[in-house]
Amino acid sequence: MPFQSALGFAVPLAVGIAAFGSALGLGRMGAAAMEAIGRQPEAASKIQLAMIIGFAFVEALTIYALVTMFILQGKIS
Amino acid sequence: MQLLLKVFPVILAFTEEAGAKPEGPPEVPNIVTLLYDRFGAYTFAQFLHHWENVFFSVLIAILLGTVSYLASRRPRLVPGGLQNFMELVVEKLNNFVCGILGKEGRDFVPFLGTLFIYILCMNLFGLVPGMKSPSSSINTTAALAITVFAYVQYTGIRKLGILGYLDHFAGRPRDVVGIVLVPLMFPLHVISELAKPLSLSLRLFGNILGEDVLIAVFVGLGVTTIAFLHLPIGIPLHFPFIFLAILTSAVQALVFASLSTIYFLMMFPHEEH
Repeated sequence: MPFQSALGFAVPLAVGIAAFGSALGLGRMGAAAMEAIGRQPEAASKIQLAMIIGFAFVEALTIYALVTMFILQGKIS
Repeated sequence: MQLLLKVFPVILAFTEEAGAKPEGPPEVPNIVTLLYDRFGAYTFAQFLHHWENVFFSVLIAILLGTVSYLASRRPRLVPGGLQNFMELVVEKLNNFVCGILGKEGRDFVPFLGTLFIYILCMNLFGLVPGMKSPSSSINTTAALAITVFAYVQYTGIRKLGILGYLDHFAGRPRDVVGIVLVPLMFPLHVISELAKPLSLSLRLFGNILGEDVLIAVFVGLGVTTIAFLHLPIGIPLHFPFIFLAILTSAVQALVFASLSTIYFLMMFPHEEH
C-alpha cells in the first residue's frame, strides 16, 4: 500500500476517533452542567462560563487531530 | 437516481480538480485572491497575496479603530447611538474580566477586552463575502497567543517579584516534601507554561480553519451539484453552516479571552492554590 492511501484511510479515521472521545467527554460535561443549573438556576451564568471553558479544553483535543489532518492533507495528493 | 448518476461524476471531477492543487484546504475566494487571479503579473497583487492574512487583520484593526474613534469623538453625558452601544460593550467586558480577576482586574480590561473584540471580528470576517478570516492562519493566532504569553509572564514578574516568580515555578515549596519535589515541579511548570500559547493558538486556528473549510466545501458542492444546468449560480447548501460558524466564532473568541483571563489569574499572588 503506498503511503498516500494509508494516509487517506488513517487521517480521517484519526479525526473520527478523536471526535468520538471528545463527544463522550462533552456529553458527560454538558449533562453535569445542565443538572447543576437545574439544581441551582441562580448560578447559571457561572456554571455556563465554566462549562464553556471546559468544553474548549475537551474540544481542543479533536482540534489537534484536525490540525494534523490539515498538515498531512498536502501529502495525500 | 438518474440525477444522482449525473451528479456524481461532476462531484468526483470537482474533488479531483481540488485535489490537483497542492495548496492545502479549499477556501472561498476573497478579494485578494480575486485580485491575484486578475492581476497576478503585477507587484502589488503579488504583495497582497503574500501578505493576505496581515492585510485582512490590519484592515480589521483600522475598522475597529475608526469605529472607536467615531464613538468617542464627542462624548456626551447621556450617550446615544454608537456611544451607547460601545459603552454597553465595554461595561459588559469590564464586568466579565473583573468577575474573574477581582478588583485588580481593571488594569487588564483594555487588553483582554480588545483581544475579545478583535478575535470576534477576525472570526466573523470570514463570513463577509469577499473577505477572509485572518485567524484561519496559524501565524495570526500564534502572534496573539505569544502576546498573551509575554504579557502574562511580565505580569507575574511584576506582581510576584523575581524571587516570587521563581517560587511560583518551583510550586511554592514550604516544607521538606515541597523542597524535595522542586526538581520535578520546576520543569513541569515550565512545560505547562509553554504549552498554554501552543494550545491557545492551535485551538483558535483549528476551529476557524475547520469552519471556513466546511463552508468552502459546501459552496463548491452547491455549485457543482447543478453544474449540468450550465447556470452561473449554485445552490446555497452552505447556508445552515453560516449559523454554526457564527456560533463557533463567538464561542472561540469568548474562550480565548476567558482562558487568557484565567492565565492572568494564575499569576496573581494568592495564599492557597
